[in-house]
Amino acid sequence: MNFSATEAPLVEVENLKVVFHGARSVHAVNGVSFTVRPGEVLGILGESGSGKSVTLKTLLRINPERHSETTGRIRVADLDVLALSGAALADYRGGTASMIFQDPMLALDPVYTIGDQIAEAVCRHRGVGRREGMRRALEMLERVRIPSPERRLKAFPHEMSGGMRQRAMIALALACRPKLLLADEPTTALDATVQIQILLLLRELQREFGMAAIFVTHDIGVAVEVADKLAVMYAGEFVETGSVRELMRDARHPYTRGLLAANLHGARKGERLEAIPGAPPALDRAPTACSFAPRCRFAEATCRTERPRAIDLDPGRMVRCILARPAAATSSAA
Amino acid sequence: MAVIADGVALAPVPRSPAYWTGVSRRFRRDPVAVGAGLVILTLILLALFAPDLGLADPYRSSMLRRLKPIGTPGFPLGTDELGRDMVTRLIHGGRLSLFMGVTPVLIAFVVGSAIGIAAGYVGGRLNTLVMRTIDVFFAFPSVLLAIALSGALGAGTGNGLLSLTIVFIPPLARIAESVTTGVRGLDYVEAARASGAGRWTIIRVHVLRNVLGPIFVYATSLISVSMILASGLSFLGLGVKPPEPEWGLMLNTLRTAIYVQPWVAALPGAMIFITSISFNLLSDGLRTAMDIKA
Amino acid sequence: MSALLSVSGLVKHFPIRSGLFGRANAVVRAVDGVTFDVADGETLGLVGESGCGKSTTARLLIGLIQADAGRIMFDKRSIGETLTLTELRRGVQMVFQDSYASLNPRLTIEDSIAFGPSVHGIPGATARALARDLMVKVGLDPTRFAGRYPHELSGGQRQRVNIARALAVSPRVVILDEAVSALDKSVEAQVLNLLLDLKEEFGLTYVFISHDLNVVRYISDRVMVMYLGEIVEIGHVEDIYAAPRHPYTRALLAAMPSMDPDARTAEAPLSGDPPNPINPPLGCRFHPRCPCAEPICATTDPGLYVAGARGHLAACHMVIPGSGHSKAQAAA
Repeated sequence: MNFSATEAPLVEVENLKVVFHGARSVHAVNGVSFTVRPGEVLGILGESGSGKSVTLKTLLRINPERHSETTGRIRVADLDVLALSGAALADYRGGTASMIFQDPMLALDPVYTIGDQIAEAVCRHRGVGRREGMRRALEMLERVRIPSPERRLKAFPHEMSGGMRQRAMIALALACRPKLLLADEPTTALDATVQIQILLLLRELQREFGMAAIFVTHDIGVAVEVADKLAVMYAGEFVETGSVRELMRDARHPYTRGLLAANLHGARKGERLEAIPGAPPALDRAPTACSFAPRCRFAEATCRTERPRAIDLDPGRMVRCILARPAAATSSAA
Repeated sequence: MAVIADGVALAPVPRSPAYWTGVSRRFRRDPVAVGAGLVILTLILLALFAPDLGLADPYRSSMLRRLKPIGTPGFPLGTDELGRDMVTRLIHGGRLSLFMGVTPVLIAFVVGSAIGIAAGYVGGRLNTLVMRTIDVFFAFPSVLLAIALSGALGAGTGNGLLSLTIVFIPPLARIAESVTTGVRGLDYVEAARASGAGRWTIIRVHVLRNVLGPIFVYATSLISVSMILASGLSFLGLGVKPPEPEWGLMLNTLRTAIYVQPWVAALPGAMIFITSISFNLLSDGLRTAMDIKA
Repeated sequence: MSALLSVSGLVKHFPIRSGLFGRANAVVRAVDGVTFDVADGETLGLVGESGCGKSTTARLLIGLIQADAGRIMFDKRSIGETLTLTELRRGVQMVFQDSYASLNPRLTIEDSIAFGPSVHGIPGATARALARDLMVKVGLDPTRFAGRYPHELSGGQRQRVNIARALAVSPRVVILDEAVSALDKSVEAQVLNLLLDLKEEFGLTYVFISHDLNVVRYISDRVMVMYLGEIVEIGHVEDIYAAPRHPYTRALLAAMPSMDPDARTAEAPLSGDPPNPINPPLGCRFHPRCPCAEPICATTDPGLYVAGARGHLAACHMVIPGSGHSKAQAAA
């Protein structure tokens, strides 16, 4: 997994903000910036309401356009994603960047066979004829290790089990060899033995096709299995980023530490769990202070009045917390 | 031991209104629905108070004054083929037309809901038996069924009411059964059974209030259909009999005058149109208002 | 410890009807001969994947569905003979996975909790007072929450309401059917702490169904693993996690994602999807996917046999001496 440090990033997101307007306003994403290099996997870890899915959907421009207000810059493979429209946008989706979902039925049309759907995508993006499209579809089904792929070409989604539908969706997403794969909790609804198969498959395909990937999940174990670097998201902001190793061994932000403790991996029977008290904030206003302060054991007066700046400990290692200030007392590292 | 763990960080949520308060508030914010509601209210009030409005006698005919156009002094909307004042005929006609529109649906709502909820809750063989029987009736196009039943029963307002009620019971029973089956499978009904509650208690406390709403909304959308069917029956001579004023009947009798006074002949149709559309818009508005969960 | 809940030979099949008159031509063998005990005051963890029958077993235990065969005894009294369904439903309660669907959207929180006691004859005002009291116990301030509706609460708060509702009829056993699975991790930890507190305060017995092996390990005293309608392994939690004897249990444990970035999972322990319980394989039901399968496994279904100390049982030919499997010990 070595890539040249001078290689230009495939994905550049700068100060992305997304606000939904409806009966109420929801400030779903509040200034998110990151880069992803070709062949790299970024894991975005967060709970419900953190804004992780919205970030992903914005990268593919599938938020409801009328109700959302998006500012910032997104560049993928030298394309200004927020400025795309019409045929260019349709080329981008599926051709340059592609997405897989938690529920495969979101991606698969129930009235067409799997083979038809994959072939359609290939024909549209590569401009080839139907026979070539079907050949590519069969090839993809073999790549995702679906049993009896020739039969599955003619199968409808409802005739397949959950794990197979997930594989079919992956085949559909990767059929046109996109440069960027976006994964929105693709294994959350699967059984444990199927989940690990799909995760290994995704890792293998990502390496084989040399794609960059952004993987959204709430499960730390899943993030560790697939990602090279992690970003922890809370209330629409990245509160900590770094390589997977750095975050697992030396998490700095109190929220990240709380998440790791709540994972029960090392919890001892009979002992009370260190639960993070309270609940995430309502996102009806843009944040003016640290969003985590109401729940944080280490909160100080400044935390409730000022938004914490992003502190860069190392290239690619960021913590959005005053406790990470180099001048802060060593007690914060405890 | 007793720990109020959620005392922290609860964003202040406004005091929750009761369900119907919320519904009426959302309804009032919808201009189209409110407009439709006002129109219907006006029509109903006119219909109710028609005899007290000091209008001309709807039955008094005069061959001298036949088919006067709109704008004739003393007869603002003209006169019909027997010289009766159109304004009073239309307003009095509203009484019967609205009655024939609302009453069958109301009765069918009660009967159809009872059948559908019972079949939906019990499930199994009883459900199959009841619903397939209902489906047999539902297979007939409503107009055809109404005509057939009216023809068998004979003309007259009462018989027209009866046949229309029978026409509307199947669709309401179907909706009731389908909504009830949906609610029946939800966890909170299972939880209620697990608490040891009896069948009738569960229906009363858990099923009814979650089910009657959608059925009611569907029923209001049937009112316009009922009015049009009633008018159609009268038009064909199967429902209301002359000289009763009723919009459909008036359309029939004014039919021959369409080349002489087309605007006057179109008036009853316009009334049917306005009333039907208002009921449909009202029903739509109700559905939207009841659908939203805060 | 005495067994509070005792199940023997429980069977439940669901016919699949098709054809004009609903002839049953296939059968889903959801639960196929299950026998186990739940001791007073313990937490029994129940794990398994889709189609294993754990949810059906839970519903059989609480009397929501009727078993085709087998016997359930609660507090040494048999259902149907010395125990009425109503009495069972006072003694055994359940908390469901979907916190939103478990609550009537048109009832306030207070009314939802008070419904159970009122059904059993407790007058309205007393029931509501009891409801408010329970709300305090589960960590919801009654002055703020009593008059609210389910859609105004978060998932964690709703699940607290569901727990309060289950406790309102003073049960002795609470079945938690994936009760924390749909919650965020931070909320899950809060609710687990609450469950432990309540267990101690009210002297409850839990049956904890989950697919998350970390949670099961944390909260259970004993663990039962199910596959395709049968129990494949049961024993004390430490024995199961430290020395699993059934290949399926081993696969489940190996399928947990690694938490160490330097030691990622290299190979999936099992291939394929969990099978459908419509036509289970003959012999040992796991043998088509088992890495250790041998001819004996395809012909004979192993029963539960002693696999370790403290009541550790496993249904595998490798555990039964003299079974004919190459890894089994010779007959004693």
